Order: sequence, then C-alpha cells, then structure tokens
Amino acid sequence: MTPFEIGLISLVLMGLSVMVGLFVPIALMVCSYLGVWAIKGSPVLASKLLALAANDAISSYFFGVVPLFVLMGFIVSEAGFGRDAFDVANAMFRKLRGGLGIGTVGANAIFAAITGISIASAAVFTKIAVPQMMRHGYNPRFAVGVVAGSSVLGMMIPPSLLLILFGILAEQSIGDLFLAGVGPGLLLALFFALGILVMAVVAPGFVGDADRDGAEGALSVGQFAAKGLPIAGLIIVVLGGIYAGIFTPVEAGAMGAIGALVLGFAMGRLTLRGLWNVLVETGLVTATICFLIIAAQMYSRMLALSGVPAGMGSLAADAELGLWGVMLIYVAIVIAMGMILDSSSIMLILVPLMLPVVIPMQVDLIWFGIVTVLAVEIGLLTPPFGISVYVIKATLDDPNISLADIFKGAAPFALIMLVVLALVLAFPVIATGLIPGR
Amino acid sequence: MPATDQQDTQRDPIPLRILDSATQGLNVLGSSLILVLMVLVGVDVAGRNLFGAPVSGVPEIVTLSIVAIVFLQIPQALRAGRMTQSDGLLKLLAARSTRMANALATLFDLIGIAVVWVIVKATWPIFSRAFERGEFIGAVGDFTAPVWPVKLTLIIGGAMLMAQFAARIWRRYWGAS
Repeated sequence: MTPFEIGLISLVLMGLSVMVGLFVPIALMVCSYLGVWAIKGSPVLASKLLALAANDAISSYFFGVVPLFVLMGFIVSEAGFGRDAFDVANAMFRKLRGGLGIGTVGANAIFAAITGISIASAAVFTKIAVPQMMRHGYNPRFAVGVVAGSSVLGMMIPPSLLLILFGILAEQSIGDLFLAGVGPGLLLALFFALGILVMAVVAPGFVGDADRDGAEGALSVGQFAAKGLPIAGLIIVVLGGIYAGIFTPVEAGAMGAIGALVLGFAMGRLTLRGLWNVLVETGLVTATICFLIIAAQMYSRMLALSGVPAGMGSLAADAELGLWGVMLIYVAIVIAMGMILDSSSIMLILVPLMLPVVIPMQVDLIWFGIVTVLAVEIGLLTPPFGISVYVIKATLDDPNISLADIFKGAAPFALIMLVVLALVLAFPVIATGLIPGR
Repeated sequence: MPATDQQDTQRDPIPLRILDSATQGLNVLGSSLILVLMVLVGVDVAGRNLFGAPVSGVPEIVTLSIVAIVFLQIPQALRAGRMTQSDGLLKLLAARSTRMANALATLFDLIGIAVVWVIVKATWPIFSRAFERGEFIGAVGDFTAPVWPVKLTLIIGGAMLMAQFAARIWRRYWGAS
C-alpha cells in the first residue's frame, strides 16, 4: 500500500470509530499510531511520534491563551455580569415588539465581548432570560430558541475560543481573527433581532402572546451606568489592549481574568468558594480542549507523512471545482459533521486537511477561519448533537420543555446563521474589512 | 449530584477511593497552577508597563506549565465524564442490549489504556534524558527552568489516566448499581 492509501484508510477508520463512540482524542491518537506504523513500518517510530507530540505540541507560550480566556469567561459568568448585560440590553429594547427576545440577543452580544465560550452564554441566559420571557407570555419554545440561537454569538464576537483554536491551527494572528469576528458577529446579532421582530409580527403564535410592558425593565441613568460601566471597562481592557498592541493575547486573557476577579470581589459578587469552583471548571475545560489539540497534532503529523493533505490539494485543483465549489463542499461537510461532533473536534480534524487545499487558491485564511467558525457554530443548534441545546436543557431542568422543543425553537436561528454565512462567503469584506492593510 | 457522588465513593473499595482522591489532588494542583499563571502574567504586564521592569522567565514558565496543567487535569476530566465523545450510538445500543453497550464501552476504555501506555512508555526516555543531562529552557544568566518536572507530570498524569480508564471498567461490571 502507498502511504497515501494508508492515510486515507486511517481517515476512514478515525471517522468510523468516532461515530461509534470512541473518545475523540483517543481515536485520533490510535489512528495516528497505526497510520505511522503502517507508513514507516516501525511501531517504535510511531510511538516516538506520539510521545514527541504529547510533549511539545502545546508547549508554547502561546497556548496560555486557552486557560486564561476560559478562566475569564467563567469568572464573568460567576460574578453575574450576564445579568447586568441582560438588564442593560433590556432597558434599550424594551419598547419594541418582541423586546425581551431582542434584549436577550443584545445581552448575548454584549456578554460575548467579555467571554469566549458559547456554553457559558447558553447556561447564563437560560437562567436569566427564559423565566423572564415565559413570565411575560412568550411561548416557551420560542424563549429557549432565542437563548440557544443567540448563544452562538459568544463564539463569533471576540474574544472567542474557536477563533483562538483556528489561529493556532492555521498559524494566523489571533488579533486579526478577533477583529474579523466583529463584523459577522454584529451582523448575526442584527439579523437575529430583525428575525425576532419579523416573527413577532408574522407568526405571533410561534413567539407567543408577548405583552409590551414598557415600564418594567426601565433603568435610571445611574443604574444604567452602574451595570454597563464594569462590562465596558472589561471590553476596553481586553480587546482594546490587544488592538492597541499593549497586550499579547495571552496577557489580554490574564488581564481580563484579573479585571473580572477584582470587579467581582469589589462588587461583593464573588466568594472564595465560587472562585474555586470556577478554577476547577476552567481546569477541566482546558484539559479537555488541550488534550484534543495534542491528539489533533499527532493526527496532522501522521497525515503529513502520508501526503493525504497535499493529495487532496491537487485533487481539488484537478477537479477544477474552483474556489466556490471547494468552499460549498467544505461548508456542507462542516455542517454535516456538526450533527455528530462538537465544534473544537470538527475544527481540529478538518482544518489541517483543508489548509493545503485552500492555500494554493490564494484564500485569505482569516476569512476562511471566520467561515469555518460560522459553519461549525450552526452545528451547535442542529440535532442530534447540538451542544448549546443540551446545555440549555440541563440548565433549565424543566420536564415540560423537551429537547425537541428547544431544537424547534432554535431552527429559525440556525436558518438565519446560514443566511449570514452565505453573506460572509459572498462578501468577504464583512469579515476582513476591519483589518488594517487588507 | 453531589449526594450520589458521595454514595458512589462510599461503596467503592479502598483502592478506587484512593485513586479518586489522588486524581482530585492532581486536579487541585492544576487549578492552582492556572491561578499562578494568571498572577504571573499580570505581574509581568504591570512590571513592564508601570515600572519598565519586566519579570524575566514568564514566557518560559507559561510554556512549561501549560503542558503540566493539561496532564494534571485530564484524569479528572475523564472521571467527570468530560472527555470528548459522540455517545449517541452507545446510548441507542444501551436501550437495546446493556451487555453489548457495556462490551463496546469496555473495548473503548481498553483502547484508551493501550494508547496512553504507548505515550507514557515513549515519554520515559525523554524524561530520563532531561533529568540526567539537566535540560532546561531559558537563557543562562537570565532565567532558566529545568524541563524534567513537566515530563514527569506527563508520566504521572498518563498513569493516572490509565488507572481511571481501568476504574471505569471496574465500576461498569462490579461497581455499585
């Protein structure tokens, strides 16, 4: 067998074993081991490759961003800044029809600018926004749908763990990726809000009998400032620090976490016990993601030995699919994989395969990253494996709202995401417009 | 959840309880390391911007500790059911035949043990070389840190991960149900 064939077989083997339920990192490791063994004919060499990857794959200053941004996200949730974001957004949109829904989207957009994980957004706003919407007569299915849909903003609007992951995989500047996420993220929020407005008018049955209570949720200027300023301060420190070139992304993560910690304790919202829980949670998330990154490094080193990525590149070139053909197929595969796998696994598996295909086509890799994250995030909302939906179900703990209800409620938002994805594909400037020198 | 956890632990035999405590100990160590990392980077930023005096060695410490953080916590991540997995088919199978589902899950745990064993075994020479030659990172005269403690962490974390895979099998067949 040629190395190319071995590479392909190990790819198929990996896909199958992941689908039947083998742990994703273990599946990647086993297939890399067997693949290298078969290509080089030496199990010793294969085990050396695995050990080297385990030792050096994440051994870089740069990987400090992962625990630090995860930590910041969890501290911000624990300290109740989600509630503040919700109050602020609600005060701004309360006069509109479907105002609470739009307020939830706005709150998610604001919260997304201080946290980088969708799961945090989904959990926080399930607790805050869903009960409030239901109390005001919204259809439960719509209420959870809004939360599920808008939780994806957490990954699109910087800082974002998925953009960091892409930056690591494709060796792109995280600062540029963050900048590129702003346009599509805001566009997504805008379309979500418009969608809610339209649904409230066209399909009131789906939205529910939402009353417009203009008085409730109003904030005085002082309250508005008290709730808005701490969040604004964090956004300025983290994103401003990166763009102004004062902080590296690693430092921005640390400063954000320290800032959130200081604010949380100063405002009397954090306890030592709460901080400890947050630290343990951060550790588990970091370990899971970095273990996956290590496994993905082994796998892409094995693939490089087999020549499969290069082969895919020439295959795509020979097939004369053109950039559009390649991108459409890629997006379709990403969305399909989103039905069975979580976001980071999909990126870690697909991006190393795709880079050799798109790089010869002179694709802007920053734009490619944004497209990838958008497509991957649609998977968060689609059954059977929509992780945001599961988080909401677990956080809600209400037997009257089934998983199917949440998926149905989220469906319109998944469609809106598809529209925004198409727009970003057609007009790359939405993503790259903010980056200087492009 | 905490209540059932406690029951589980009480019914587990002593070796498993020791294993879980040790796993948790590593987890605590790793979590503390994250806090240390945050403070160190913060002090470095403050020192550089406010006093024009950066703390030397911070990038090197971040580089080393991130690997340690991951391998200290991955056993607990497995114990807490956090390792990434697409378990739809396993659940479907469990509804039809518990025995089949258990057999498949056990096979997966065994594969996990095998592959982590390969990594730990091949890391051993890397560790002993680093230890004997006193390998370090950083620049002599400014800041240096030995590399071997991190390699040791990888070996310990890997061994604990294997033990936790084995504990999953034990609990599946002989644990309290």
